[in-house]
Amino acid sequence: MTFHYHEPGSVAEAVELGARFGGDGRFLAGGTDLIVQMRRGKLRPRHVISLRRVPGLDAIAESGAVTLGALVSHRAIECHRAFQGRLRGLVEAAQVVGGHQIRNVGTVGGNIANASPAADVVPVLLALDATVTWVGASGARTLPLEKLLLESGQTAERPRELLTSIAFPALGELSATAFLKAGRRKAMEISIVCVAARLALDPERRRCVQVRIALGAVAPTTWRSRAAEAALEGRAPTPEALAEAGRLAAAECRPISDVRASARYRRLLVESLVPRALSRCLARIQEASS
Amino acid sequence: MTPIALTLSINGERHDVLTEPHRTLLDVLRADLGLTGTKENCLEAECGVCTVLLDGRAVNACILLAAECDGREVLTIEGLGRDGRAHALQRAFAEHGAVQCGYCIPAMILSAKAYLDEHAEPTEAEVREALAGTLCRCTGYQKIVDAVLAAARELAPRR
Repeated sequence: MTFHYHEPGSVAEAVELGARFGGDGRFLAGGTDLIVQMRRGKLRPRHVISLRRVPGLDAIAESGAVTLGALVSHRAIECHRAFQGRLRGLVEAAQVVGGHQIRNVGTVGGNIANASPAADVVPVLLALDATVTWVGASGARTLPLEKLLLESGQTAERPRELLTSIAFPALGELSATAFLKAGRRKAMEISIVCVAARLALDPERRRCVQVRIALGAVAPTTWRSRAAEAALEGRAPTPEALAEAGRLAAAECRPISDVRASARYRRLLVESLVPRALSRCLARIQEASS
Repeated sequence: MTPIALTLSINGERHDVLTEPHRTLLDVLRADLGLTGTKENCLEAECGVCTVLLDGRAVNACILLAAECDGREVLTIEGLGRDGRAHALQRAFAEHGAVQCGYCIPAMILSAKAYLDEHAEPTEAEVREALAGTLCRCTGYQKIVDAVLAAARELAPRR
């Protein structure tokens, strides 16, 4: 592992270095994935561009939309006061990443750029209809997060461009999020399955609207189950309707069997975790409006 | 590769270090400064025995480039005691027989310190969660947890 190390002082300077080095360069955020991959010889950048002196990238802004700078750490999400209510799903995902040592340095931007199919925070961001902003030499572009997650381990990430922020619309009155993860232990564990849900109720509180169900570790990328979402949209949130969403998500996902679990077990987990995550959203909506 | 000059504050002492970009904080602590209390094992941030505090927060020194620590405060196990007196956590670990082979203990103590600095009265479950990023290869967790809870009780009234 040898390379040249750079510490740009602004987004413009970082982007300029990224454009200059192209495929020979890598942006360094928390390094919890990048340094490990470099040490394994999986990645061999000749230039490492540290983002630690780029100001503003670790800010959380709420003004209508919620914007997370790419360098916002998992710990910062966990501790953010405004996320403890209806956005609690984001906190639930951030607090099961690694142990404290990882959460103190690992970033939300890195979680996206690393594009692991088992990423924990990414499914919640998918459920929130998040968009991602990248800055390159020719300017900034904002894309739906879903579009970026094209293939496992390979975001539409172009090494020349810098992921600067993630944004999602603020949640309305009668809506909430939840996240559940299955693993053998509670910390330092790659998800066997993880589920993020977002749900809103119509003003009469009779029907589900804006249903989002996103899953991790059951397909080549983190991913949304459109079949499950569509089945619940416009329906009353009965236990039967939630269970059906679980069955549809289990049917639609494409898990593999590996050292952590069999495909069959993963489907069973999806079937039971999806309705549970949706019920948590409902409980949270009640809690917030009572 | 071009060497880089760093200024690190380690255990309250300033160190000017000339090193190479690929070297980690762990490399610099152990090989350059002889601070071998911080242990080296998996080198992939899985086991946690390399835990040190960076600006008060627990981090894995094995995957942290030394360059990223320029101008920041590092606390290692060597810097925890004051004026020849062991820290309350260190005393509690000794009193509870929490140390078996000892390999993970510096990391356990520093992880516990970071947590207790922010949570004065933790429950047992919270202590276990706080230590989850560090593995004890002897599996002697119970006495480690007991020691942290005892240290928390001793430290709490002073906050």
